[in-house]
Amino acid sequence: MSKKVLVVDDDPDVRSFVVTVLEENRYTPLVACDGVEGLEMIQKEKPDLVILDVLMPRGSGIRLYRQLKTDDALKAVPVIMFTGIALRSFLKSQKALEEFKGEKVPEPDIYLEKPVEPQELVDAIKKKI
Amino acid sequence: MKIKKLLFVTKFESLCYDALHSLLDLRKSGLEHVVFLNVIEREKVTMRRGKGYVKDDEVRLKEIANIRFIDWAENLFEMGMEVGAYIEVSSLIPKILEVVEKEKPDLIVIGRSQKGKIEQLYSRSDITELTRRSTVPILVFKHMTENKLVPAKIFERPLFATSWSNSSEKAVACLKELGNVIGEMHVMHVVDEKDLKTADTHVVQQVRKKERNRLDDLCAEFEEKGIAARPHVYVGDPETEILRAAQEYQASMIILGFSDRTALMERWMGSISRNIADKSLYPCLLFPVKK
Repeated sequence: MSKKVLVVDDDPDVRSFVVTVLEENRYTPLVACDGVEGLEMIQKEKPDLVILDVLMPRGSGIRLYRQLKTDDALKAVPVIMFTGIALRSFLKSQKALEEFKGEKVPEPDIYLEKPVEPQELVDAIKKKI
Repeated sequence: MKIKKLLFVTKFESLCYDALHSLLDLRKSGLEHVVFLNVIEREKVTMRRGKGYVKDDEVRLKEIANIRFIDWAENLFEMGMEVGAYIEVSSLIPKILEVVEKEKPDLIVIGRSQKGKIEQLYSRSDITELTRRSTVPILVFKHMTENKLVPAKIFERPLFATSWSNSSEKAVACLKELGNVIGEMHVMHVVDEKDLKTADTHVVQQVRKKERNRLDDLCAEFEEKGIAARPHVYVGDPETEILRAAQEYQASMIILGFSDRTALMERWMGSISRNIADKSLYPCLLFPVKK
C-alpha cells in the first residue's frame, strides 16, 4: 500500500505542485488548507509524513508543528517544513516560544525553503519514508 | 476584554510594518497573534475590457503581497508571536467580515478610507460600513504627519471621548485591560451646547459638575487598573471639541464609541465618530455598539 503524505498549505498552487510530485512518485497525497484543518487530518488519517507550510490562516505551521511534537501520539510523525519563512526565523521563533512556554521541541526533520525543484522534494521525502 | 489577536488589514500604500510595529506594545497586555489581510480589489484583476480576466496580474499582486507578509511574519515569529495571512481577490468589507468570522480577532486595524466623497455618499466609507457590520473594535490607523511618520507609541497618550453610551461602556471594559500599555489617558465628555437650553449659569455649572463627577468616578476605575487618567468636561459641538481636546493634550489617538444612529440617518447626517475617524489626522479606536 502506498504511503500517505499530508500537505498542509494555504496556497492552492503549492498544494497542486506537491500533490503532482507525490502522485508521480506513487505516494497517496492528502491535503489541508490551514493549521486547524491540518491537525484534524493528522489525527484522523495518521499520515506517514507531513509537508508543512508556516505562514497560513487559522493556525500557523509553527503552532501546528509544536502541537505535533508535544503530543505523544503524534510526535513520531516526520515533518518536512516547506515554506517561504527563513530557517533562521523559524529557529528564533522556537527559541522565543521555548523561553515563553518552557517547552522544548526538536528541530524539524527537514526544512525546505520555497521554491524547490520537484526532485529536491522527492529526495527529502525519500529520506524520511 | 483582552486584545490577544488582531487582524491587520493592509493595502500596503497606507499601512505598513511601521504601523504594525507601533502596536506591538499591546504584547504587554496579552497580544499574541496577528493575522494579515490583503484584499486585492476585483477591478484590479478581473474582466478588463478587451482583456477579460487578468490572471497574470492576480498572481503578480498576490506574490508581491506574499513577499511583504513573509518579511513581516518573520519579524513577528522571531518574537514568539503567532502569525497568519490571507491574500484574496475580493471586495474589502465582505472579505474582512468573512475573515473576522473565521479568525475571531479582538481588534481590526485598518487604514483610513480610500473612497472619494461622492462614492462615500452613496456607498458609505469603508470605516462606516465596517463599523456598522462588525462587533469587533476597529483601530483606524493614520500617519499623523505629512512625512508619513508613524506615531511611535499610539497608546502613550490616548484621548477617550465618552458619550456614556453602550459602545463607550464596551470601550471602558477593553481599556481597563490595557494598564501595561496606556501611558496617560485623557478622559473627556462633551456636553452638547444644544442641551444647555438655559442662560442660567447655576444650571450650566450643575451640568458641568454632574458630568465631572461621572468622569472622576470613571477615572478612578481606570486608576484602579493602573492607568493614569485625567478627566475633562468640554461644552460645544462634540466633533469640534473632541478634536480641540486632542490637540490641546497632544493625544496620540482618539478613542470613541460608535453611534447607533440608523444607517439612513448616518448616511445623510453623518456621525461624530465616523467624521472623526474619516477626516481627522488622529488614529481612532472605535467601539461598535454592543449587540
